[in-house]
Amino acid sequence: MDMLLQALATLMTFESVITVLVGVSAGLLIGSLPGLTATMALAVLLPFTFSMEALQGLIALGAVYMGSIYGGAFTAILINTPGTPSSIATTFDGYPMARQGRAYEALAGATIASVIGGVVGVTFLLILAPPLARLAVAFGPAEMFWVAMLGLTLVASLSTGSLLKGLLGGCLGMMLSTIGVSPIGGETRFTFGYPPLQGGIELIVALIGLFVIPELLTMAAEGRGALAQEGRFGQGEASIRQIFRRVLGKPVNLIRSCLIGQIIAVIPGAGGNVTSLVAYNEARRFSRDPESFGKGNLEGVVASESSNNVMVAGSMIPLLTLGIPGAPPDAVILGVLMMHGLRPGLDLFTESGVLTNGFILSMGLAALMLLPVGLLGARLIHRIVIKTPYHFLVPCIAMVTILGTFALRNSLLDVGIMLILGSVGYFLRLIGIHPAPIVLGLILGGIAEQGYVQTMLAAVVDPIPWLRLVHNPLSMVLAGLVVLATTTVLLPAWLERRSRPDRKASERGGET
Amino acid sequence: MILRLNTDIAAGVFGLAFAAGLWLPRAEMGRLSILFPRAVLVIMTVIAVALIIKGMVRPAGRQVEITGSPRRLLVVMASFFVWWFAIGELGFVVSTFVALLLLTWYLARVHGPVAWSRLLRWVPVIGALVAAFYLTFTEILNVRLPTGLLF
Repeated sequence: MDMLLQALATLMTFESVITVLVGVSAGLLIGSLPGLTATMALAVLLPFTFSMEALQGLIALGAVYMGSIYGGAFTAILINTPGTPSSIATTFDGYPMARQGRAYEALAGATIASVIGGVVGVTFLLILAPPLARLAVAFGPAEMFWVAMLGLTLVASLSTGSLLKGLLGGCLGMMLSTIGVSPIGGETRFTFGYPPLQGGIELIVALIGLFVIPELLTMAAEGRGALAQEGRFGQGEASIRQIFRRVLGKPVNLIRSCLIGQIIAVIPGAGGNVTSLVAYNEARRFSRDPESFGKGNLEGVVASESSNNVMVAGSMIPLLTLGIPGAPPDAVILGVLMMHGLRPGLDLFTESGVLTNGFILSMGLAALMLLPVGLLGARLIHRIVIKTPYHFLVPCIAMVTILGTFALRNSLLDVGIMLILGSVGYFLRLIGIHPAPIVLGLILGGIAEQGYVQTMLAAVVDPIPWLRLVHNPLSMVLAGLVVLATTTVLLPAWLERRSRPDRKASERGGET
Repeated sequence: MILRLNTDIAAGVFGLAFAAGLWLPRAEMGRLSILFPRAVLVIMTVIAVALIIKGMVRPAGRQVEITGSPRRLLVVMASFFVWWFAIGELGFVVSTFVALLLLTWYLARVHGPVAWSRLLRWVPVIGALVAAFYLTFTEILNVRLPTGLLF
């Protein structure tokens, strides 16, 4: 509690409040530009935090994250193009509302839902993270190995739709993590006689390459393209008080969406697109008027936006306790933590408690800032989004990307690695291997290797060494969860295949 | 542009090629250093083979779609690499100014020819942008950017 109060005092300075305000505004602007994701916003703005202290840098990036996820709703509502993937479900009802001249109602509803979602996510993080961090102490090498495997299996199955391709992506990432000096043997690996590769592949370099470059290439290939018919701000729309009443008048929808957002956020790598789609689907399923969904129902916008903003802070739970990012943008936060010598786990909540709590509370402040920034900046952002020419945007983002990558280690080689990973990543995405499992493999590779090798070393005299990986109840449970995660992905497809002959038979029966 | 390609087989072949590329140098490493990569390489090979078999028996997709212009995609991709090479040779300021101007011109041509007068109007804007980023990184963030011909 003392740490929480100290953190609050640290946060209530002019410098911190301005950092949050600027971070939210910058994130909002980048997130509202179609094609620019929250990961991209964090990666592009990362170099500006280099000269800041650890807490200040984390506050800035937390605010950017919160702002960019919310910013995705602007284009989703106004031009039917989600600014970030987490706003996909916002287009379903937000755009029809804008077409009906109810753009302000949709935007204000999205803003209120985002603020509530953001604050709920921070509350969950404050309550759940410390006890989970204490529990994480019980995790030995074998358990950490299974946690890494669990994260990889879940992201492989959730993010790509093909378990095999997801797992292949995870393996690619894990192999990339082995380039450089081995953490246990101390030898250099896979450098192909090129000494600069001894430093390995920096996480943020890979992250920028795999997430930003393919988007830039897609934007360049597509050109400006025809914008969908733009939504409009109507005359005499509902007042902000009426919209508040409409959003808060359906508390069950809000609570359900926040809970869905939180549960999915804890699953490593699941991301905001999954949370918003599931929350939207459930809102429609439980609605008394499901027919109105997709035609301009404010409940759909609220479900999508509240759940994806819960995810921002909620996905930090596995990150801060186990070092496993709950969503791709969290990987950038992990990179910043490691840059400042901070390791996820119990230490973050004890030795660095003020810093960690300050970071968490700053996300709450960022969520509250969405309200004035979003409502006042709505029309301005609308104008910027519509007017920014893509032929300026693509080279400018490329420049910031190159600068940011170079500035990490003052290395032009990192820029080359980033470009190579990005170009290969573009083609891999075409054949169904997505960047999320690769990046998670890169992060989890180190955790999995340490867990695996240390367990194998301890089991050197055992007749069957790998059985040491499942030698205690906790590791057995985790191994069971990995198997369960795999089967739950395979089961629906198997059941569908099994039911197909029966259906064909019944159809034939029906015909006769 | 739509390309006819069995995505499962393509992913499997890529996985096998990647595993093969890293399988060969493993012989020079000690037992502790190779323990984990070897396990991952074996798993990766199994997954890649499974994907190839799946691609033959029940393929997921038989075509991939490159949205927009493939030519523009390749030109921009190549220009990023040329830009990277030029930063080392010409320095950040000169190479970035030229790259930004050429890329903006190339991408703006999607909507029709770009007049010289319009191009000349972009020169001070791009110059100011590059200068602003150069000064921000060198003076505020203390990042030493590569120097070459002029800066």
